[in-house]
Amino acid sequence: MTRENFQKLSAALLLIVSFGLPLVLRSPTYLHILILLYLYAYLTTSWNLVGGFAGVLPLGHAAFFGIGAYTSTVLFLQYGISPWIGMVLGGIMASIVGVIIGLPTFKMRGAYFALATIAFGEGMRVMVENIDYLGPFNLNGPRGLQIPPLNVGLANLMFVNKEPYYYIILIMLIAVLMLTYTISCSKLGYYLNAGGEEPEAAKALGVNVARCKLIAMAMSSFLTALAGVFYAQLTLFIHPKSVISLDLSFEIAFIALIGGRGSIAGPVLGALLLRPVSDFSRIYFGHILPGLHLIIFGTVLILVMIFQPRGLQEPLTKAYHRLLDRLTENPTEKE
Amino acid sequence: MWFIVEDLINGILMGAIYGLTALGLTVIFGVLKVINFAHGSLLMVGMFVAYWAVTLSGLHPYLALILVIPFMFFFGYYLQDIVIKPIFKAEKDVREPITVIIVTTGLWYILDNLTLLIFGPQYRNIQDNPLRGKMLEIGGMFISVPKLWGFSAAILTALAIYWFLQRTRMGRAIRATSLDRDAASLMGIKQYKVYNIAFGIGTAAAGIAGVTLVPFYNVFPSVGVLFDIKGFIIVVLGGLGSISGAILGGMIIGVIESVGPQFMTATWTEGIVYALFLLVLFVKPSGLFGVRYDW
Amino acid sequence: MKILEVKNLVKNFGGLRAVDDLSLTIEEGQILGLIGPNGAGKSTAFNCIAGVYPPSDGEVYFFGEKINNHNPWDLCKKGLARTFQIVKPFASKTVLYNVTVGGYVHTEKRAKAEEKALEVLKYIDLYDKKDMKAGKLTIADRKRLEIARALATGPKLLLLDEVMAGLRPTEVDKMVEIIKDLRDNGITFFVIEHIMRAIMALSDRIVVIHYGQKISEGRPEEIASDERVIKAYLGEEYGVS
Repeated sequence: MTRENFQKLSAALLLIVSFGLPLVLRSPTYLHILILLYLYAYLTTSWNLVGGFAGVLPLGHAAFFGIGAYTSTVLFLQYGISPWIGMVLGGIMASIVGVIIGLPTFKMRGAYFALATIAFGEGMRVMVENIDYLGPFNLNGPRGLQIPPLNVGLANLMFVNKEPYYYIILIMLIAVLMLTYTISCSKLGYYLNAGGEEPEAAKALGVNVARCKLIAMAMSSFLTALAGVFYAQLTLFIHPKSVISLDLSFEIAFIALIGGRGSIAGPVLGALLLRPVSDFSRIYFGHILPGLHLIIFGTVLILVMIFQPRGLQEPLTKAYHRLLDRLTENPTEKE
Repeated sequence: MWFIVEDLINGILMGAIYGLTALGLTVIFGVLKVINFAHGSLLMVGMFVAYWAVTLSGLHPYLALILVIPFMFFFGYYLQDIVIKPIFKAEKDVREPITVIIVTTGLWYILDNLTLLIFGPQYRNIQDNPLRGKMLEIGGMFISVPKLWGFSAAILTALAIYWFLQRTRMGRAIRATSLDRDAASLMGIKQYKVYNIAFGIGTAAAGIAGVTLVPFYNVFPSVGVLFDIKGFIIVVLGGLGSISGAILGGMIIGVIESVGPQFMTATWTEGIVYALFLLVLFVKPSGLFGVRYDW
Repeated sequence: MKILEVKNLVKNFGGLRAVDDLSLTIEEGQILGLIGPNGAGKSTAFNCIAGVYPPSDGEVYFFGEKINNHNPWDLCKKGLARTFQIVKPFASKTVLYNVTVGGYVHTEKRAKAEEKALEVLKYIDLYDKKDMKAGKLTIADRKRLEIARALATGPKLLLLDEVMAGLRPTEVDKMVEIIKDLRDNGITFFVIEHIMRAIMALSDRIVVIHYGQKISEGRPEEIASDERVIKAYLGEEYGVS
């Protein structure tokens, strides 16, 4: 079998397994864990557009998550607007905010940029915590917003069972991965990589680095907001500390970094490896050894940065290619 | 009306202490050119060391400095040497070592949660605290005595570090490296030794800050987080690498925090601090007292 | 056809006047050399022309159009490309990827950009290294990559900033050949160089600057025997023969 066919077959198998999983795995707890896993994979992949391709370190992405969540929830609670529309509107809001943030911050040095994104994220959280009403919209400050589970159904993105949520986030994840792949092969992808690695050289080669970064930021924030809406509809309760949290921003960034930012598989890989660690240690060790998963996180992060700064995807991809070579014929001709 | 002056003074005192917490950060940032996200954790470690030193020995909190300063210095020195140096070496050609920022964040996670694991989440404060709640009355205003001690400690530490950087050989080496590390190493200055020492000094400063906080602040594993972000804001406000900037920047924050609540909620005050931070970042990123380095 | 016209160019950095009243022109199809002692202001002049920063005074015209405040990327699209004295390859990417970035200037399609890139790589003899990571190339190859990238943008005027530095004499001769060949194929060159054998062999005309000011201009032989230039820069071996 040729390499190409083998890869197509594996991809097909993967799809079948992931779509078929809920039929086998009936427990809502496990489904919930998987849903969150896919959610994080989605978030890290969206983050990757800016944090990986554009080469900067944004540490305030939870702000966009929160914008999505709050926009759709407020519109739904006050005006009965479907969360699907809320997704689009929340995404656009997040995009605009993202560009506004990006305009002054992309000019800064890496460390300053990271700090500025933190400040924006935290500033937004503080703002939402303090405001009860933004114009006609009720944000309810630190008490948060609760969505009553009436009118369930696809139109309102609200379900009694976990299965529909599972499929929605799975489709979102696949979509965002395909989008990332398409971008990486396109002019924007090349330009982003060039601008992230050597901005002066890229400019001299016709790359408007600042504009490309802003485009990436607009996309990234839009996508992240969609996830926020999904989360709001999943948990039916949002408040500033849960959706605009610094911890979330950091977690997204670090999972992506450990997995390998700048690559397509990296962020997903990071989520696949680290989320189970996090869940596992919280469930089993949560009482005796609190915070264990964060210690593991921190240690893994440091080790990866010392030994594999391009992320765990690098050795794993190499191993994968070696495996492919062994299992298929004529490995190099086709590439 | 008097309240404002009282708040102002207490704000300046507390601000100087904030500045002290940020002092180490600015030294490390100025020399190594990295944001040490673990700084709050180092502060927390300093507080725990001070707490245990005082509780076990029954000494006056400020006497704990004898223990805290050398311990923290070497802790920082070896932390840099063992954990951070390898990354620096790997990223020698990269202009902005982002990876080091990531590593210090990993350190932050580890330190905070290891402390949580070992000591538990409860709040601690020292018993038989000779400084607890003591107030000095001046003309109808009440000035906090522990904060006064802290203020003095901050000024003294700042002066001591300044003197060290200006008058000693190693200090000059540190300043040279911060201006141009390649040129400095070509002059025979061991770059990584300088980094280690700078990190040691920064951590020791965090230790001193910890000692000043212990008399009136609760000690618990995640206490560092509050000071972490504030520290960055102060450092950017005052100018990276500027010692006077750190103290003065801290005072500005301290004043905003203590005068602010007279006019608005505490969280809005927090928001003002963030807004000011962003303003400085956009308008004068080198800070109020910083020098424009091309790094 | 005057492809580049620089009129009374001045660049100040605070109190330092790096470029002082510099004027020069380049005709289409020419190779103009720019030489001068270290710190004379050569790279600064380049940066002003290439849009890295705007001039403090004076004007720069490209094909008759004033380009004083243009961005490097806009200039690149108009046909003005440059290389860097300290090479800046996209080290983590392959040689082909590097050059393809340049190839995207006039197209949106990856296939076309890559096609152009492969064409350039074949021409400049880097084709067999196209899948190597740029960070692993020798310095000579990196310099060629630098030129290849700029070439992929389809420039009419190419500013070369010390492309010969660090090359061995045989590599220098090869590079001179490549540049002359490219000129015969329609590209105009503006070259900063320190390596005398290269600049003398390449240039149709040479401009000499010292402390930011033009102190001489003419054909290579004229420059070599100019007293002022010798005094400032060249040294006895290249004196009057």
